[in-house]
Amino acid sequence: MTQSATTRWILIGFQLLLALFVLLPFFWMVSVSLKPATEPFAIPARLWPQAPTLENYVTAFRPEFRTYFMNSLIVSGASVLITVSLGLLAAYSFTRGRLLVITALMGLVVLAQMFPHSAIIIPFYKLMRSVDLLNTYASLILAYVSVTLPVAVWMLRGFLQKLPVSLEEAAAIDGAAPLRIFWEIVVPLARPGIIATSVYVLIVTWQEFLFALSFTSTKDMRTLPVGLNDFIGQYGIRYGELMASSVMVSVPVIAVFFFLQRYFVAGLTAGAVKG
Amino acid sequence: MTSSDQRLVWAFLAPTLLLLGVFLYYPMIGTVIESFYDTSFISPEPRFVGWSVYEKVLSSRAFPEVVWNSIVWTLGVVLLQNLLGFFTAMLLNQGLPAQGLTRALVLLPFVLPGVVTAILWRFMYDPQLGLINSLLIRLGVLQENAAWLASSDTAMAAVIFVAVWKGFPFSMLIYLAALQNVDKSQLEAATLDGAGPVRRLIDVTLPAIKDVVLVNIVLTLILTFNYFDIVWVMTRGGPQNATHIFPTKIFETGFGQFRFGEAATYGVFSILVLTVLVAIYIIVQRSAAARRPAG
Repeated sequence: MTQSATTRWILIGFQLLLALFVLLPFFWMVSVSLKPATEPFAIPARLWPQAPTLENYVTAFRPEFRTYFMNSLIVSGASVLITVSLGLLAAYSFTRGRLLVITALMGLVVLAQMFPHSAIIIPFYKLMRSVDLLNTYASLILAYVSVTLPVAVWMLRGFLQKLPVSLEEAAAIDGAAPLRIFWEIVVPLARPGIIATSVYVLIVTWQEFLFALSFTSTKDMRTLPVGLNDFIGQYGIRYGELMASSVMVSVPVIAVFFFLQRYFVAGLTAGAVKG
Repeated sequence: MTSSDQRLVWAFLAPTLLLLGVFLYYPMIGTVIESFYDTSFISPEPRFVGWSVYEKVLSSRAFPEVVWNSIVWTLGVVLLQNLLGFFTAMLLNQGLPAQGLTRALVLLPFVLPGVVTAILWRFMYDPQLGLINSLLIRLGVLQENAAWLASSDTAMAAVIFVAVWKGFPFSMLIYLAALQNVDKSQLEAATLDGAGPVRRLIDVTLPAIKDVVLVNIVLTLILTFNYFDIVWVMTRGGPQNATHIFPTKIFETGFGQFRFGEAATYGVFSILVLTVLVAIYIIVQRSAAARRPAG
């Protein structure tokens, strides 16, 4: 498109403003996390520490933080694994099954992704209490798998629909059993979809707060978001440590996301734009 | 698919259907049932009380506040997030320098965990130590420190701002993908006919992406109405209920005060709101699909 030089400069100005709007809080978070406790960070706020130090990180990486980190890793890791496996199986059936009832069931899956978590949490909590699963990894994994499955099925179905059926038909004519066709043809071809869906489940479960806050009552079972929320009270005004913890919580997901973002963006927008 | 394959289809579906049935659909019904029972910290044994919890909730002072806050919150976030997302998408579709890099950086808030976002912005808004007050005072916009989150006049706007900051990259992604599907030849034809950028936007681009915009707005309405973490961590619904929306009210009533019946009643109201939104979503999507050329 043709742009005059002035328009172009104005647009570049807007783009810089946009970058500032997005990045300033991140910059501030990192900057404060690197400030020594002795250096005041406000009035007037200095944007970058005079003597950057990692001492906040050392203090913030305390045993409880490590426990929360491990808990998050276990719960998110298990959720990604289970959701993506079950989601792939279901999505395969939803794309290859021809019965009308299957289309109707897909509608129910799509509907379930819109359920408000706050509206289902009390019966969910009572259910977990009645089987004695409160304050366990299992309760959180069950919750996370259930709430991420609908979108996972929907994303994976989008990918599977684009795969040519002819390959599977050819394999069937050659006498391959349906399970083998699924495992040896469909799963490898669906790899981009599997990656995109895994990233989605990781992003959602790594930051999940409501279920984790309601289902865990002891420190040894808490995940990072709940632990971080506790730190607000404990650390009081020690923002340096709070920001250092925040950076450590965020870096893993941000890294994974940027490493795999093209898969994720393709998966998300393909479904959302095409409906 | 042969008939033996049909068994495989059902076997593959079974775990997902079972999980969704037990952990999503059953609790939805459970909330409705729960709302007819009274539980409290003193009498933890649920007692059937008919509509009396509804009467209690509806006549409480908090209920109209929560309804009003939810409306302001949802419409505010959705409107601003979609506007900002749309204009960002337009901007990042112009072929400017460092476009790819900017696009990637803009996605950062979307990936930042909700609780981290809330803590970071609590700090940004801190009256004495926060960056916002010191910047605004230095720029001469403010004379003295403002307590953004502690004043009921500004708390809601402050929280909406943060949700928009975190949410607009998602809208941007969707709109960017839609913009890239707009027929280039139509845009060029309009330019040759002498249409300026605004005319091209109104006559060519907007009609072409109308369906995506509508579906995306309804989708963000649903997601925003259900939001919990940012509001809870930043304000816990305060000050004086000024930022209490349905999810925070449900959590506080249920898990803060152990009044499950009342919390469930709020849950039922939010399910009703959601039903309306989902109905709109289905209608919008159906009509969008009908307008799309076959194929």
